[in-house]
Amino acid sequence: MTHNAVNLQPAFILQHQPYRETSLLLDVLTRDEGRLPLVAKGVRKPQSKTVALLQPFVPLNISAVGKAELKGLSHAEAILPALPLQGLALYCGFYVNELVGRFLHPHDPHPEVFHAYQQCLAQLAENINIQAALRIFELELLEHSGYGLDFGHDADTLQAIDPQQTYRFKIGVGLVADKKGQISGTTLLALAVRDFESPKVQIEAKLLMRTVIDAYLQSKPLKSRAVIQQIVNSDVYG
Amino acid sequence: MSKKGLLGQLIQSFCCLPGVGAKTAQRMVFYVLQRDRQGARRLAELLLLAIDNINYCRQCRTFTEDDLCNVCADAGRDTGLVCIVENPADVWVVEQTGVFKGLYFVLHGRLSPLDGIGPDELGLDLLRRQLSAGGIRELILATNSTVEGEATAFFIGELARKHQVKASRIAHGVPMGGELEFIDSGTLSHAFNDRKVF
Repeated sequence: MTHNAVNLQPAFILQHQPYRETSLLLDVLTRDEGRLPLVAKGVRKPQSKTVALLQPFVPLNISAVGKAELKGLSHAEAILPALPLQGLALYCGFYVNELVGRFLHPHDPHPEVFHAYQQCLAQLAENINIQAALRIFELELLEHSGYGLDFGHDADTLQAIDPQQTYRFKIGVGLVADKKGQISGTTLLALAVRDFESPKVQIEAKLLMRTVIDAYLQSKPLKSRAVIQQIVNSDVYG
Repeated sequence: MSKKGLLGQLIQSFCCLPGVGAKTAQRMVFYVLQRDRQGARRLAELLLLAIDNINYCRQCRTFTEDDLCNVCADAGRDTGLVCIVENPADVWVVEQTGVFKGLYFVLHGRLSPLDGIGPDELGLDLLRRQLSAGGIRELILATNSTVEGEATAFFIGELARKHQVKASRIAHGVPMGGELEFIDSGTLSHAFNDRKVF
């Protein structure tokens, strides 16, 4: 039954949870098969070699078989060691995983998102410019999952974005000029070319992405964002 | 099987246990009703008692029916050493090794942003108070070797540093009696990176 099999697919585990006595339920992002729910049977045993690999942020090759919606993991090997995410970068990695889980539907392949995900993790692992890495990933994810924004034109008037104007995001429409809007035209033009040099662009981009993501998640807030907020607010990083 | 009536309700209630589905629950219910009503009565009474009386230890948050658990109340323990574990079961496992003579701190979970579990849910406020009260020399971070466990260890490590307390992480590596040939690459690379002078 080859059409039911997944063969040595590049993949990352997004989320894992214990299932029954010795198994794991996995939410996996693969390159060519999209997000896949998988069950890894019998890996939580003392002699198991695979359980150490089945962690988030480890670049894997996986194979899976099964006719049902929930396929069984048949093989997993690490291509590279786990990406060394630490501290804030690690917490942001969880955020990225939650974002993917919320925006991509199972069995819907998006190789570009997989690529952007890899790039984002690599940048997080270097621990420089976390903000830009997150914003670029958010932009790519939105674009490829069908929620992309046009940073070149006002969605109402279809005129080119004016650097002197301010804009706001209108759900279902896009970016519209608004005198009270919090996003400047300059920021939008910088976002179009993914330029995050200026601190002002970083702040406004964060605000814009947050508004857009929240709008599409339909008021079901991201859990990881609340936790990261809690961590940042705690006096450890104060 | 209808879910109405005492029998149905009882079967459904058994399903709240981990690893128990409808079929197993049904078998358990029929067993206790047919064969062991005495045992079932004792179980029910003990469950009620336990739920009413077992609480978190004031100091280490493990389960205890007293104000302080056995370990915290033991005057012979080294109060300067505190071992951070995820679950009460981990306290039990470490105690069985007999090598650790300090105190514990039980998180009842791990930092898991995807499940919405942050520092507040892990009782870290209590740990912070204990750290600032002084008297703790070293925190031993014995959380699981998963990504979430590492995230937790890192966060608590930072907390310890802030209070100028030494923090150490338990070693990961080759298990006793383990042959290198059969060890996964992740564990082996950890073992190499954390090797010590012989």
